[in-house]
Amino acid sequence: MRNHLQPRVKNKHKKWTGLDLFTFVVLTLVVIAVLIPFWNAIVISFTTNSAYVDQPFSFWPKEFTWANYILLLENAGGLLIGYKNTIIISVIGTVAGMLVMVMAAYVFSREFPGKRFFFLATIFTMYFGGGLIPTYLNLKSLDLLNTHAGVILLTLCSVYHIIIMKNGFESTPKDLQEAAMIDGATDMTIFWKVMLPLQKPLIATFSLFTFVDLWNDWYWPMLILTDNKKVVLQLYLRTIINSVNSMLEGISVSEDAAALDAFGAGMQMAALLVVILPVMCVYPFLQKYFVKGIMVGSVKM
Amino acid sequence: MKQKQNRFVTLLREIWKAKYLYLLLIPFLAWLIMFSYVPMSGVVLAFKKFNARLGIWGSEWIGLKHFQRIFITPAAVEAIKNTITLSLQRIFWEFPAPILMALLITELRGDRLKKVYQTIFTFPHFISWVVVSQLLTVLFSDAGGVNMLLSSLGFDKIAFLADGEFFKSMLFITANWKEMGWAAIVYMAAIAGIDPTLYEAASIDGATRLKQIWHITLSSLKPIIAIQFILKVGGIMNAGFSQIFNMRNAAVKSAVQIIDSYIYDITFGAKPDYGFSTAVGLFKSLINFALLLFANWLVGRMTGEKMFSFKKEKVKKEVMK
Repeated sequence: MRNHLQPRVKNKHKKWTGLDLFTFVVLTLVVIAVLIPFWNAIVISFTTNSAYVDQPFSFWPKEFTWANYILLLENAGGLLIGYKNTIIISVIGTVAGMLVMVMAAYVFSREFPGKRFFFLATIFTMYFGGGLIPTYLNLKSLDLLNTHAGVILLTLCSVYHIIIMKNGFESTPKDLQEAAMIDGATDMTIFWKVMLPLQKPLIATFSLFTFVDLWNDWYWPMLILTDNKKVVLQLYLRTIINSVNSMLEGISVSEDAAALDAFGAGMQMAALLVVILPVMCVYPFLQKYFVKGIMVGSVKM
Repeated sequence: MKQKQNRFVTLLREIWKAKYLYLLLIPFLAWLIMFSYVPMSGVVLAFKKFNARLGIWGSEWIGLKHFQRIFITPAAVEAIKNTITLSLQRIFWEFPAPILMALLITELRGDRLKKVYQTIFTFPHFISWVVVSQLLTVLFSDAGGVNMLLSSLGFDKIAFLADGEFFKSMLFITANWKEMGWAAIVYMAAIAGIDPTLYEAASIDGATRLKQIWHITLSSLKPIIAIQFILKVGGIMNAGFSQIFNMRNAAVKSAVQIIDSYIYDITFGAKPDYGFSTAVGLFKSLINFALLLFANWLVGRMTGEKMFSFKKEKVKKEVMK
């Protein structure tokens, strides 16, 4: 019975139990399931179309080719425009959005007359909105259709992010703020000189969230950006996917095999990988910030 | 009388003291009004016969006619039904997965392994449904990898993406694939906050690890599970538009036609009726809001934890004297 006196933490260096093995096997299977679609996409993007049609799933490219990527780069006009526009929107949207959101989050972490009213009015918009057409008509009346400013302004703030950042501000020690106040600092000075430097990690984390949200945004850009020169990356990807699909349906067997060879699943996957490449490259290094961010205010709303 | 005046003066003084706070809030309030409340006022369109020339406010009032039309339009009724069934099915298939995952990751041996696995699990959250739907279509389509494996093993091909029922299962599977790892973080944070002495005490009492998971971990998770459940129930009228919109095809369109995709289709369809579209949207929002209030109340009664309260918090007035 001595065993039971040992605390749970000490189990760490013990033999693997059935439960340990079960956990490991189940989670490893899930890891494989998560990775397969990505690996599959990479393999297909390096496979000739004839080899793909012959055998749509393999662990290694059967007939290796760069053709899909070359074709993608040859027709890179749309891709480059998409990249440029997405970067513009994501950078400006993140900087402007974070500025507005951080200020609001800080204010909501303080007490002032009317706070309850403003805060409820803010939360309310999380659950009730005008919907598709009023939002569209509003953009139209503001002359923001077919502009990047329209996309940026529409998704400028996330109430959800504001609430979590507010909780983050609330959880910082009050001493520093109070000390600054006694020294005669105004709320403005406290915000810029005390709170912002203290909350750098929180702000960095939510900048990342905002940036990724903007990078992945497709719905409103799809509805309001009609000009080909203004298209963003996700829209470009949608067009490639749709045009390849319709092309595949339209092409008959007798037609030039080379055309089919180039335009197929391979090119779709190549385009797709090029779009997610930046996120894929930086994510492993930034993952801990993302995780920290969601932990800040998630427990208490 | 004098007391009243004093209170008013105090209030003014407080407002003046907070002047910089108001200043910092102004940009957000301006945005909130321009991009949330102005469009929200546009829902009056639901009670009007929209005329593009006259605009939202100039168009003619027609009362509740659009709302009556919702209930006699079979496609709309079908979309409402689909939304609710699909959401309930989603709660069943998608709500427990992150909780299980959090429990498993916490029990996993090896800190390095934990970190690597968690990075992999959370990654799909950061790519859009545009990308995910294509990643999965290429695997599950008729000519895709999975059907190739099935037929090479001697099974019949399965129309994963062309059969309504299979497609629905695909929605649950892919939603879990994308979001399960990310959603687990909230629970893992809560697990990390559990007092370790509880486990020590349980060990001393001879509780097995499974029993500890059940009695300590899961019971400590109750409040956070309740809060997450509120969010899910509050979102019952949102059955996953981004996913469905990107994954659907002509063969399954009617089987997974939810309110949001229905609104999209009629708005950008052959004969758009902006008033009617807005009415469907408003109908959805109202039910959604009512559900959220109900769920909040219900969970509050069950656990004493509420996401937010509409009752005024008591402020200590004594301090002011």
